[in-house]
Amino acid sequence: MAKYQLNLAHLYGNLLNTYSDVGNIIALRYYAIRMDTAINTTVISIGDQFNPDEFDLALFGGGQDYEQYVVSKDLPNKKAALSKFINDGKPLLAICGGYQLLGHFYIGADGKKIPGLGLLDHYTLSQDNHRFIGNITIKDEKTGNEYHGFENHNGRTFLGKGERPLGKVITGNGNNGEDGTEGAIYKEVYCSYFHGPILTRNGEIAKHLLLTALHNKYPAADLSTQRSLLIKPTF
Amino acid sequence: MSIRSTFAESIGRSSYWFLHRFRNGGSSLPGKLTLTIDPHILHSFSKKYDLVIVTGTNGKTLTTALSVRVLRSKYEQVLTNPTGSNMEQGIVTTFITAPRPHKKGLAVLEVDEANVIKVTQFIKPVAFVFTNIFRDQMDRYGEIYTTYRKILAGVRRAPKATIIANGDEQLFNTDSLPNPVIYYGFNHQHRPAFDAPANTDGLLCPKCQHILHYHLRTYAGLGAYFCPHCGFHRPPLTYAVTSLNKLTPTSSTFAIDGQEYTIGVGGLYNIYNALAAYSLGRYFNVSPAQIKQAFESDERVFGRQEVINIGDKKVTMVLVKNPVGLNQVLDMIATDLRPFSLGFLLNANYADGIDTSWIWDGNFEQFTHNDVRQYFTGGERYKDISTRLTMAGVSDLWEEPDLTKVVDRIKQLPTDQVYLLATYTAVLQLRKILAEQGYIKGGMD
Repeated sequence: MAKYQLNLAHLYGNLLNTYSDVGNIIALRYYAIRMDTAINTTVISIGDQFNPDEFDLALFGGGQDYEQYVVSKDLPNKKAALSKFINDGKPLLAICGGYQLLGHFYIGADGKKIPGLGLLDHYTLSQDNHRFIGNITIKDEKTGNEYHGFENHNGRTFLGKGERPLGKVITGNGNNGEDGTEGAIYKEVYCSYFHGPILTRNGEIAKHLLLTALHNKYPAADLSTQRSLLIKPTF
Repeated sequence: MSIRSTFAESIGRSSYWFLHRFRNGGSSLPGKLTLTIDPHILHSFSKKYDLVIVTGTNGKTLTTALSVRVLRSKYEQVLTNPTGSNMEQGIVTTFITAPRPHKKGLAVLEVDEANVIKVTQFIKPVAFVFTNIFRDQMDRYGEIYTTYRKILAGVRRAPKATIIANGDEQLFNTDSLPNPVIYYGFNHQHRPAFDAPANTDGLLCPKCQHILHYHLRTYAGLGAYFCPHCGFHRPPLTYAVTSLNKLTPTSSTFAIDGQEYTIGVGGLYNIYNALAAYSLGRYFNVSPAQIKQAFESDERVFGRQEVINIGDKKVTMVLVKNPVGLNQVLDMIATDLRPFSLGFLLNANYADGIDTSWIWDGNFEQFTHNDVRQYFTGGERYKDISTRLTMAGVSDLWEEPDLTKVVDRIKQLPTDQVYLLATYTAVLQLRKILAEQGYIKGGMD
């Protein structure tokens, strides 16, 4: 039995599962075990209650246009809870569609404007008959870490107030192919277009999310062993 | 046949002859040449052949091969296309290089989903066989709904053709078409209502957008689905698997409508392929006894699994290309109770899919009850698959990016049984090496 327990909410995990985001949970579990921590995952989907106080971590993945549209209609029911979760400084990893839906809106492939939660200050436009597809490398200018991923998105996202990018694009397109940014960080919300999946290739991000969640839940615990976990390169 | 068509066909035929006489063959160029001269060439074959089109994401090749075998018990000649030649040019090549039929022949062709319309605008098929629609390589194909719409665009050109569709696939129950439809599926159990695992595609009820539930689920989203909210449910099945009697990695014994059949290939997904071929055979009035004989005659089934002897190792090589296919192969391997070794050669070229994320949907965690003595990885992206296996809890793993050395190291494996999963270009590269070293003949079509 692990010393620490973290509860992970997999938001709409049965609908937003197109790009192998489940790999992020596998990676979280893998690093968590090495931090004497067990992860309990619950899928919170359309019609389900999301109680932010029951969860320490959340994953919000990407899906197909149709599923994302259905999810967007359910989001208002969870907006207050998600807002509290984010403002409590709890870690949330949002990938692709999840990233877009946290912002004000995105434009679907058919040109339709789909409203998002507006909890983060970005918005997403589309591009005509083109997607950003390929391997991508970025550098987090604050930590100096380099991250590797695979991008596959039609959306062009523009960051707003209070957000900083996850990294500066070294190779690839990033948020919009124009401003050299990729992803977003707001409080402990980590957003990215990275597939790969992101945490399987960039264990440092997984470690950070886990440490934050552990610190939030167990403020008095001595996490020095957890902090000293060495992340070996996997890519 | 018009003069243009005749001329186009003869150019295509001679280029095919040239390529096979002086080069290593080629199946798309003759079709391409023919199409350049006569873009409507396919129309000229509509009087010579009745056509059946087999399409869907997975299972096209084996369904087509089994269907051909079943229908040969009734038709003297059944024309078909080799695997990989399922786009317009390859299909044209198939027709122009076939022996000219004396009377109207039957053609059973596997057709790429987006190419259905390119065929049906010229030839109206007698029947369509739909296997399934799954998420494929996301960098190359669109979403499952887009894929199905492409097929439907082709079907709308042939409103009289009978559709023989997998009834367990809910997408095939979403549109009202004028065509007659026959459904096949699995009816071997009925459980109290349950959910599919979260990481499954296409779980939304198309009528009311609630999550579908199941009374029976075979794999992925396939099964006896129903919507607890609006009552949408699987259509009645005309032909059904009624029991699963024995499943091994190399054979499957099951009953269709109470009659037992055995096919010499493992994997639940291949039972769907056999069921599809059975349904098509019954549509053409082939008797169950004839179908049983066709399935069980010892002629080798052409499939995507083959066993290659490397030294004293029996290496079962399986092409993998998408998450559902990968999981079906892993489930099949898990039925092997003998000690075995398991390898994965991962490339990420265009034909493999350049995004390797899909390996994370593979359930590599499931081998806890198997006796897997050694895992190994190779190919250009061996690091990705090694990470996948490591995070699945595998500790005993060797890595070898150089495929020539992989062959040498396979000979040193601790077990006789070896399963080797590989992506498309890794299969091609490995087959070339194996051919050079005399373990197999020739390359791959």
